[in-house]
Amino acid sequence: MNDALIAIRLVDVHKRYAVGANEVHALRGLDLEVGRGEYMSVMGPSGSGKSTLLEILGCLSRPSGGRYWLNGVAVDEVDADGLARLRGEAIGFVFQAFNLLPRMTLLENVALPLLYRGVPRAARHERALAALARVSLAHRATHRPGEVSGGERQRAAIARALVNAPQLVLADEPTGNLDSAHGREILALLEGIHADGATVVIVTHDANIGGRTPRRLAIRDGVIEADVRGAA
Amino acid sequence: MSPLESLREALRLLRAQPLRSSLTLFGLVWGTAAVIFLLSWGVGLRSMLDTAFQRAGKNLVQTWAGKVSEDFSPAVDRRWLWYTQEDVEALRERARELDGIAGETRRFAPAAFRGRALSLEVRGVEPEGEAIRDVPLASGRLITREDVAQSRRVLVIGHRARERLLGAEGRVGSWVRIDGTSFQVVGVLARVGTQLARDGAEIDDQLWVPLSVHLALWPNPWLPVDMLSTILARAKDRDRIDAAESEMRRVLADRLGVPADDEEAVPVFSPLTMLRRIPIDQQNALNLLIALTTLLVGGIGILAMMLDSVQERRAEIGVRLALGARRRDVLLQFLWEGVAIVALGGALGVTLGTGGALFLASDAFRSGIPAPLRDLVPVPELSAAMVLLAVLAMGVVALAAGVVPAWRAARVDPAETLRVE
Repeated sequence: MNDALIAIRLVDVHKRYAVGANEVHALRGLDLEVGRGEYMSVMGPSGSGKSTLLEILGCLSRPSGGRYWLNGVAVDEVDADGLARLRGEAIGFVFQAFNLLPRMTLLENVALPLLYRGVPRAARHERALAALARVSLAHRATHRPGEVSGGERQRAAIARALVNAPQLVLADEPTGNLDSAHGREILALLEGIHADGATVVIVTHDANIGGRTPRRLAIRDGVIEADVRGAA
Repeated sequence: MSPLESLREALRLLRAQPLRSSLTLFGLVWGTAAVIFLLSWGVGLRSMLDTAFQRAGKNLVQTWAGKVSEDFSPAVDRRWLWYTQEDVEALRERARELDGIAGETRRFAPAAFRGRALSLEVRGVEPEGEAIRDVPLASGRLITREDVAQSRRVLVIGHRARERLLGAEGRVGSWVRIDGTSFQVVGVLARVGTQLARDGAEIDDQLWVPLSVHLALWPNPWLPVDMLSTILARAKDRDRIDAAESEMRRVLADRLGVPADDEEAVPVFSPLTMLRRIPIDQQNALNLLIALTTLLVGGIGILAMMLDSVQERRAEIGVRLALGARRRDVLLQFLWEGVAIVALGGALGVTLGTGGALFLASDAFRSGIPAPLRDLVPVPELSAAMVLLAVLAMGVVALAAGVVPAWRAARVDPAETLRVE
């Protein structure tokens, strides 16, 4: 594949953790290429290493071995501040637990990534409101996360992931805490993001979700078990 | 994260647990207030003591003739000594550390005015002595060189003596009989106030007449000399009070033919030396130490609260890092929060400390204290330096209380906190 078309390239990526006295070898030599604008799911049982993969893709942690290029940038050559910038500008996160800050309004939550990019207050406000409108939550802008439903919280979290127009959206069990109706709503939003051109990677253990993405990666024991394209 | 937003976050943190926050802030507020209040009180106390000790006379050095002590003479020959005007002249001639040298006589005598009679201390004074006492006049004039030279029967009366003896009717021009002799009042002294050092009755209770008149009216019954009760002088430099004292003793001992180190023969006294024996600076330093310790303890409370807060907000820190916050942003956020809390407590403390000091210095408070006592209640003296010191101390506490939690916050591993258990 042409480099310019590649969003993610992993070469022989390893990840080891020290858990107490033991070492956990979460990823054992992963090779992966994800094209720009791809929509894919990563599936695997608990402990398979899929969350670890997501952390590495999201530049939240560095591989113990191997190399990672994000949009052509060699991530291992980027310093800590550079990683923060990548997270803030190139990547949007959607978490299972939503991870909205409870003491801020939805608007403030959505505006948070802009804050760290140094966007002026008025522009932050405007763009955050636009992102909330895109997930049909403009009317909830001044509510706090505790005052809205789970589905609305996750939509707000998606708005937060969108606000910087990232090239890569990483969703970790985005529907895990939601009922199926709200889950479908969230998936529809993620599909919309993909339709707008972003690369979307969903980590899930739910085969129903996995079945909806054009590319499906299965991980087990830190290695890729299957990499399937096309309709399930 | 702007400082303003950090301040808002700090206020949120304080509101989240009002009881703990207020107890923690209390230490900081009290410590800051104590630094400012105790410093201003200490300076005020020092001024009060200085004023109260110096009311007998500014930089006063004084001597009474004593008697030759046993150490220097056989017991049978323990002579009583006395001073005369010649000793005053000799001192005037030879003294380098002293000026304003004057002789003074004193005795209690009955004084009468329109049917009122009191026993009051009557002093024979010279203009030099009056200058040392340095008492402003309420009305009239002081005793002049001419009054002394011509032995005029004129009288200057102290503030309280006037109230008690003359009452409402008496004024400059009134006639007072002292021990059977009539004196015309030529001056009324302003109130001096409570004297912590005094050489007899307080000035407010004294009657002053010309020294020459005093000596003539009450001659020494045993000796044909004009015996002075005391010799007064002023140290030219208050920092050289010891030199002034020893000069006075040396010159007079020489005149009297006694050894210069016989302190019993020539006892020299000065209020400043008495004042110096009060360990006021040590006490103030101790007070400051206690206040700073309180501030420190308050800071430790803040530190504990901030550390707790970091622990509770690890998930939030993880989210912020995931959304593009640099470690520096997180560090600054928590640092600002710590600074904001300390600044809040400090501002309250500065307000409380200066407010307390200003209140104790206010007329509203002081007018409630009975007059004789009021002279001895310090007026707190605030200065910008005190507030600056308190703010500096607070700054150190703020840094300590902010840096450690902030550093911990910045070390949070986002991957770990975001992982769903």
